[in-house]
Amino acid sequence: LESGGAAIFVLVSCVFCASALADGLVNEDVKRTLDLSSHLAKITAEIQLANHGAARVNSLTLALEAELAPHLAFIGVKGEEEEDEGLELKETTLHGQSGKFFEAQLPSSLAPGAKLRVKVETVFSHVLKPFPSHITQAEQQLVVFQGNHYLYSPYPTRSQTTRVRLASKTVESYTKLGNPTKSEESIEYGPFKDVPPFSQDDMKIHYENNTPFLTISSITRTIEVSHWGNIAVEETIDLRHTGAYLKGPFSRYDYQRQSDSGISSVKSFKTILPASAQDVYYRDEIGNISTSHLQVLDDSVEVEIRPRFPLFGGWKTHYIIGYNLPSYEYLYNLGDQYALKMRLVDHIYDDQVIDQLTVKLILPEGARNIHVDTPYPISRSQDELHYTYLDTFGRPVLVATKNNLVEQHIQDVVVHYNFNKILMLQEPLLVVGAFYILFFTVIIYVRLDFSITKDPAAEVRMKVASITEQVLTLVNKRLGLYRHMDEVVNRYKQSRDTGALNSGRKTLEAEHRTLTNDITALQTRLKAEGSDLAEKVGEIQKLDSQLKDLVCRSCQEAERLVAGKVKKDAYIESDKTLSGKRQELVSRIDNLLDAL
Amino acid sequence: YVSSSNAGGSVSGNGRHSSPAGCGGSGGGLSGGLTQPAGWQSLLSFTILFLAWLAGFSSRLFAVIRFESIIHEFDPWFNYRSTHHLSTNGFYEFLNWFDERAWYPLGRIVGGTVYPGLMVTAGLIHYILNLLHVTVHIRDVCVFLAPVFSGLTAVSTFLLTRELWNQGAGLLAACFIAIVPGYISRSVAGSFDNEGIAIFALQFTYYLWVKSVKTGSVFWTIGCCLSYFYMVSAWGGYVFIINLIPLHVFVLLLMQRFSRRLYIAYSTFYIVGLVLSMQIPFVGFQPIRTSEHMAAAGVFALLQAYAFLQYLKDRLTRQEFQTLFFLGVSLAAGVVFLTLTKPSLPPLLRYAKIHIPIIASVSEHQPTTWVSFFFDLHILVCTFPAGLWFCIKNINDERVFVALYAISAVYFAGVMVRLMLTLTPVVCMLSAIAFSSVFEHYLGDDMKRENPIKQHPFYPVKNSSVYSKLIVTMLMLMLLMMFAVHCTWVTSNAYSSPSVVLASYNHDGSRNILDDFREAYYWLRQNTDEHARVMSWWDYGYQIAGMANRTTLVDNNTWNNSHIALVGKAMSSNESAAYEIMKSLDVDYVLIIFGGVIGYSGDDINKFLWMVRIAEGEHPKDIRESDYFTPQGEFRVDKAGSPTLLNCLMYKMSYYRFGEMQLDFRTPPGFDRTRNAEIGNKDIRLKHLEEAFTSEHWLVRIYRVKKQENRQALDHKLRNIAAKQKYTSKKVLPSRFH
Repeated sequence: LESGGAAIFVLVSCVFCASALADGLVNEDVKRTLDLSSHLAKITAEIQLANHGAARVNSLTLALEAELAPHLAFIGVKGEEEEDEGLELKETTLHGQSGKFFEAQLPSSLAPGAKLRVKVETVFSHVLKPFPSHITQAEQQLVVFQGNHYLYSPYPTRSQTTRVRLASKTVESYTKLGNPTKSEESIEYGPFKDVPPFSQDDMKIHYENNTPFLTISSITRTIEVSHWGNIAVEETIDLRHTGAYLKGPFSRYDYQRQSDSGISSVKSFKTILPASAQDVYYRDEIGNISTSHLQVLDDSVEVEIRPRFPLFGGWKTHYIIGYNLPSYEYLYNLGDQYALKMRLVDHIYDDQVIDQLTVKLILPEGARNIHVDTPYPISRSQDELHYTYLDTFGRPVLVATKNNLVEQHIQDVVVHYNFNKILMLQEPLLVVGAFYILFFTVIIYVRLDFSITKDPAAEVRMKVASITEQVLTLVNKRLGLYRHMDEVVNRYKQSRDTGALNSGRKTLEAEHRTLTNDITALQTRLKAEGSDLAEKVGEIQKLDSQLKDLVCRSCQEAERLVAGKVKKDAYIESDKTLSGKRQELVSRIDNLLDAL
Repeated sequence: YVSSSNAGGSVSGNGRHSSPAGCGGSGGGLSGGLTQPAGWQSLLSFTILFLAWLAGFSSRLFAVIRFESIIHEFDPWFNYRSTHHLSTNGFYEFLNWFDERAWYPLGRIVGGTVYPGLMVTAGLIHYILNLLHVTVHIRDVCVFLAPVFSGLTAVSTFLLTRELWNQGAGLLAACFIAIVPGYISRSVAGSFDNEGIAIFALQFTYYLWVKSVKTGSVFWTIGCCLSYFYMVSAWGGYVFIINLIPLHVFVLLLMQRFSRRLYIAYSTFYIVGLVLSMQIPFVGFQPIRTSEHMAAAGVFALLQAYAFLQYLKDRLTRQEFQTLFFLGVSLAAGVVFLTLTKPSLPPLLRYAKIHIPIIASVSEHQPTTWVSFFFDLHILVCTFPAGLWFCIKNINDERVFVALYAISAVYFAGVMVRLMLTLTPVVCMLSAIAFSSVFEHYLGDDMKRENPIKQHPFYPVKNSSVYSKLIVTMLMLMLLMMFAVHCTWVTSNAYSSPSVVLASYNHDGSRNILDDFREAYYWLRQNTDEHARVMSWWDYGYQIAGMANRTTLVDNNTWNNSHIALVGKAMSSNESAAYEIMKSLDVDYVLIIFGGVIGYSGDDINKFLWMVRIAEGEHPKDIRESDYFTPQGEFRVDKAGSPTLLNCLMYKMSYYRFGEMQLDFRTPPGFDRTRNAEIGNKDIRLKHLEEAFTSEHWLVRIYRVKKQENRQALDHKLRNIAAKQKYTSKKVLPSRFH
């Protein structure tokens, strides 16, 4: 019974593959280029298709060999012209055939007899196997590529050529199907005529390839958007040299003295950051990596990344690179609707391979209705929440992962979301609130008495201190009055305006009286508190009345001088004695004040 | 960095200018309409303290600005690693942490062999900040902890000096301690070590002690105990406190200054402090067992006896009392005698046992030179005796304390460079007192007289001594200014190197960073097996554990001398003997520091004699120091060097393939720049080791210990089993087996 089922299956699949052929497409002319000059295998096929069938054809099927398919990082189909958009690809299956299949939708259906040129670009990672797998520091790195001499296609091929580009002149061996010609750094196969569909013939090239076999085994790219004008990007990168393992010792002496020592090792590489990148940092768990250089160019910022140590085969390292971008270049908004357009993954080094990518997009706190447009399918994980400075309910984090990426994946992702601008005020208000509470607590603590016992003595002390304080200001004011009076007298001496003098004297009298009364009141209060300072205040009062008398006398003297009743010499004499007395009194008052 | 040094200068200047106003009491208040002198005074003190904090903080940032926010030197790497462990795994996990990556194969019980105060403080700050969503990395908390605590130290020094003298002296002391190199040496940013927080705890405990002796209030004493508890958890130097405070009490008793206040303060402090200090796992029962703590117990008993006698004095007749007194005194004297005659000096002194090579090998355990006193304290070292004299002249309970503090600290600082640290705070306080008194004398009176003059411009003042006062003041200010300059210079040049990252300067002033240590450690971290065991001299143990995250055999926690001696023996034996040791210790990699290429003097060849000595201490039959010297008694690496040296493992590893290397055209190949000699053994072949990694400037060299090769298959015939005889059972088998 089982064998019968298998027979039916074979039959069905034959019918199916017949149907694949039945659309009548034929590869008229195929030019294949295998670029093996880096650690990637980039296979480009320029195919001239012809519709030999009777019906119009809307789509074409692309096939990949089963051996290479798991290593596929990128596949793209383009029309003839350079500026053509890539065709849309959909993975399909063809029963009975091993490998991976994609269906490309043609921009316009192909009429019977019509022809079409397409360019299929595929990139495979980790298909160049180092052989031998372990080399010493002095040895060159040799790799083996195993592929197909023919274009793997569901359609028959009329004529095809294959050109292999290598990394160096040194080739250990290569398959010699159809007597290929080998020139400097390339091998030309073909032309092969009338190759049936799905034909495979093992191609094996063993050659020297000392290009950096760097692989990013994992990268976490965190993009943190702030509506205050900044986008912070941080990439945590695990880097590995996936070429031939280093066997035996690593000699620094040879590495420094001989230029071809450790030729396959990686000393440094360049990372190109956006032109507006600022505050670039390059570090790891134990601090800055001081062996790097930054160069700001017109259209980009180049970082020469030098790992702490040269990377030999099998060695790995880990680092973090981060920078800030101004948000106006990447963040667009219409009212409350925002769109962030950023690269999902950015350049790290030329011909990069990323085994595993995790992108974390941190949106501002309060972003809602989040919708992501990715340039290619990428698996989303559960959203997370991220808390950082002044966050209360957390920022939404979009997490996405994808495996096996190459340079062609450097494309933009667009994230749409809504954000209420009022929420921008939340953080400043939070700070203001915190300070408000702090100051308020201090005020409460300082102003109110929290002690559980009463200390009457301290209270009295404080009262006395405040009264003394007032006394001091009043006495100082009173001394100021005298100085003012002196000025009035001086002016009078020049202008001889008796009216002004009299009015000045009057105001002095009035103000002096109020001040003296105030001080006396304070003095009685001091007495009431039982402070011995009251006596000192009384003494000040006494001295002050003498002082006031002196001021009045000097005033009268001035009047007499103006009236001509005394001579100038006599006036100066008496003024001198008066001022001497005054000075003495003032210093005595000051001493008393100090004692207060 | 220019700004930070300026800040240091200007702030301390502020402190100086304004403190006389502060100590003048109400003097400042009368001038120009300041309505509330008390308010102004507290505002001024607050500002000065804040600026002192800021200056102290910023002058500790040289290393961060020149290099980066990185943990320095050796011990801080362990502290950082355990803080990291604490912050990721929680407090209990930290207390129970058995570190199997250190002291292979013994391991280390970290929770029980560490003063956890530092880690807990940093972990707590990190935890609180993260609760508030301030996402600071634990490394940054660790790096900036010591500078922040230096501000707290300044504040507590201010408080203590204010209790001892007055507010003006307190402010000066705060300014001094903020920038004095003796303290900065242990508390620059990145120097994440116990001393960074311990000096704060020390000063604060002393402040609270003085306060409790002054007030006799249990409240202050309990505060003092809590602070003491923090100190115990932070640093082994707590023994200084537990000896100084009893000494203070004892001397007060001798001076007939016994009071109820003292009785309350010390009784409470001793009991509560004892119980609290025993809560630290590392300290455990030491406070009731070891001799260092016995002085405290003895003084406690003495104080009780004294108080009891005082009590009896009121209740007994004269005759009875005399008999009792005689008995009591003789008993107490016996107790005191017993405690004091025991070697009760602090364990800080245990380091001073110089006959143990492992302790003598540490540079910071050397006796202090006069130069380093001046280097670390500058003018303060000259002025602090004056302050001490002022204190003794106007003696009271707390000034007795500071005098004892000064005398004991001077003694310890003389014994060992490292203990300069405990001397620094008291020198700052006493110098501040000296300066403050001088200023008070030369500025204080003038202030009072000058103010009225400003108010009454009419009256000219005749002051004949104003010029002499001016000159003295200017001189003092000049000294202080030079002090500030010196502090900044010393901090910048001597104490701000991370030592993990080296820098060299070219002729044009541009800077080269030599990052070899991290290069090699990071290589170990990334490209060796996770459980690889790395043998190195103990100096690098903490760094390997912290930066390379690999298992080490010995590290800076030098608790097991014989293990270290074994490593020393491996380093100083020839290769095959060393291989046997390394095999028995499961060593996978050997790491050494070699400075011959760049002229780095702190490398392993220069430390080599210590390795030999330590190894000789444990294995005198195998290793003899004299073998490593030339017959003339010289230690030479060139051709004249002793053959034992030229063939030992350390020599071979250091100079492997160095003989081929010509550094410049003036010198022959294999010229060692550190020792200025052409090496004697240029043809070095390694049999059991292979070079695994050498850093860019050859500073760190790592060798892989080769695994033993498979044994050669013996040439033998396959065993031939010929059945000579057939043994069959005579028994009749049951039929079912057929």
